[in-house]
Amino acid sequence: MTELDADHANQGLRQWLLSEQPASRRQARSGQAYRAWLAFRANRLGMLGLGIVLALVLVAIFAGFIAPYDPLLGGDLRTERLLPPSWDHLMGTDDLARDIFSRVVHGSRVTLLVVGLVAIIATPVGLLVGTTAGYFGGWVDTVLMRVTDIFLAFPRLILALAFVAALGPGIENAIIAIAITSWPPYARLARAETLTIRNAEHIDAIRLQGASSGRIIWGHVVPLCLSSVIIRVTLDMAGIILTAAGLGFLGLGAQPPQPEWGAMIAAGRKFLIDYWWVATMPGLAIFIVSLGFNFLGDGLRDVLDPKAQK
Amino acid sequence: MALIDIENLEVTFGSRGHVVHALRGVSLSVEEGESFGIVGESGSGKSTVLRAACGLAPVSGGRILIDGVPVATPRDAAFYRRVQMVFQDPYASLHPRHTIDRVLSEPLAIHGFDRREARVEQALVEVGLGAGFRFRYPHQLSGGQRQRVAIARALILEPKVILLDEPTSALDASIQAEVLNLLDRLRAERGLTYVLVSHDLAVVSHMCERLMVMQNGQVVEQLTRQALQDHATTKDYTRNLLTASEGFTRSPVPHS
Repeated sequence: MTELDADHANQGLRQWLLSEQPASRRQARSGQAYRAWLAFRANRLGMLGLGIVLALVLVAIFAGFIAPYDPLLGGDLRTERLLPPSWDHLMGTDDLARDIFSRVVHGSRVTLLVVGLVAIIATPVGLLVGTTAGYFGGWVDTVLMRVTDIFLAFPRLILALAFVAALGPGIENAIIAIAITSWPPYARLARAETLTIRNAEHIDAIRLQGASSGRIIWGHVVPLCLSSVIIRVTLDMAGIILTAAGLGFLGLGAQPPQPEWGAMIAAGRKFLIDYWWVATMPGLAIFIVSLGFNFLGDGLRDVLDPKAQK
Repeated sequence: MALIDIENLEVTFGSRGHVVHALRGVSLSVEEGESFGIVGESGSGKSTVLRAACGLAPVSGGRILIDGVPVATPRDAAFYRRVQMVFQDPYASLHPRHTIDRVLSEPLAIHGFDRREARVEQALVEVGLGAGFRFRYPHQLSGGQRQRVAIARALILEPKVILLDEPTSALDASIQAEVLNLLDRLRAERGLTYVLVSHDLAVVSHMCERLMVMQNGQVVEQLTRQALQDHATTKDYTRNLLTASEGFTRSPVPHS
């Protein structure tokens, strides 16, 4: 009986969400989101990607409960160094007798921090620069896009290396360096989108309503650029994780004993042949999370990008 | 004194050797409460007149006066409250991610109008859409319904002048008639002044008391509706246009 009631309530909610005549702003917005979710749900790889990313978030939040051992304190250095994977140590132990599984689990926090902060810093900067350049055109466009070109002219890892070298090693500086080097592609993308939008009749229409340039860019241009930029950011996440790992590998990112996947690979490099699991396990983690973000990005593209619609 | 006076308007596009003269000395004047038509073939510059008048096209010569006062460049808020425009393509003129509610309430917010909720609902009712349409997105509407929303948006600031840029050419015939009748009714109720651009002589002779024929960015001639219906034209170009339009409408459109 209660199950039937719940079913009824679900039906009602579904109808409320899919109503052709929404009665409030909230209903219109949630209906729109629900339709996007229905479209996204049909994409299996996208759902797999979303699952991996959600798993990463959950693991990062509950790392303290999931990890069986302390990620920083090792066991007995005489008997527990470089143990192969077993039920006691799912991914084996490293040269300081620390449980690799616990370190990988805690390392997800660092990865998530990097990914989240880079997205929060780089996306708005790229969007703002790109839409402003595209909307105003003329010398504003020239100045902003030449600056973007200068940033684009350096390979990302090299520029990040230079910034870290200048700012000093550490995870915070690595994040800043990666953010500084990853906004230019978003600016380019946003500018290209803006160029196609700015002469649309609906932009002319709002201009004729007397809207200021700021209102037009923020309220009318940015929402239309946002989806392609979000897709691009999601697809770039894999690259950002790899750059962070690369900086860690070179000893310029997270500092020991902080568990960071790239630094863990670097530590395992010395005994790659004899004790393969030390470098492989964090490598697998990087691989799976990067793949997850790529699947998620592809799924989002199928839902959000009007040009890719089948 | 006329409400709108355009004197020797010149508009040129392009730069560095590749210059297109879109308008070459166009003059016209429209009285308050009048409906004035501009006809011509594609590329004759008829839409450019409207776009130049409201500041969307660069004016390189001539003057535009509203109530005898030259308009400011860029146009000020007072101008936008007096003059509004309805665009040709209702599929392109509404923001695809904004609800109808947002489309209609944004101009009210920009100009600081009060009673926004009531005004939005009233505007929807006036163009023949119920309040049930308020929170829909443009993709949930038909072409005719979208054009009604565009008309509501133009009217919501309570302007005196509406510039209509081929308001019905993207709609099919039966919807065209509905939208034209709506525009006629709104003009009668509110005492609006229309400047209507169209390539369709039937539409213009139905809607407008006076009209102007344009070709290659220049005025060919100005004539009244009566003269158009009596074929009392002096220029060959207008006569050709009339003959061409009769290819499919043998009799003049009856008045409603």
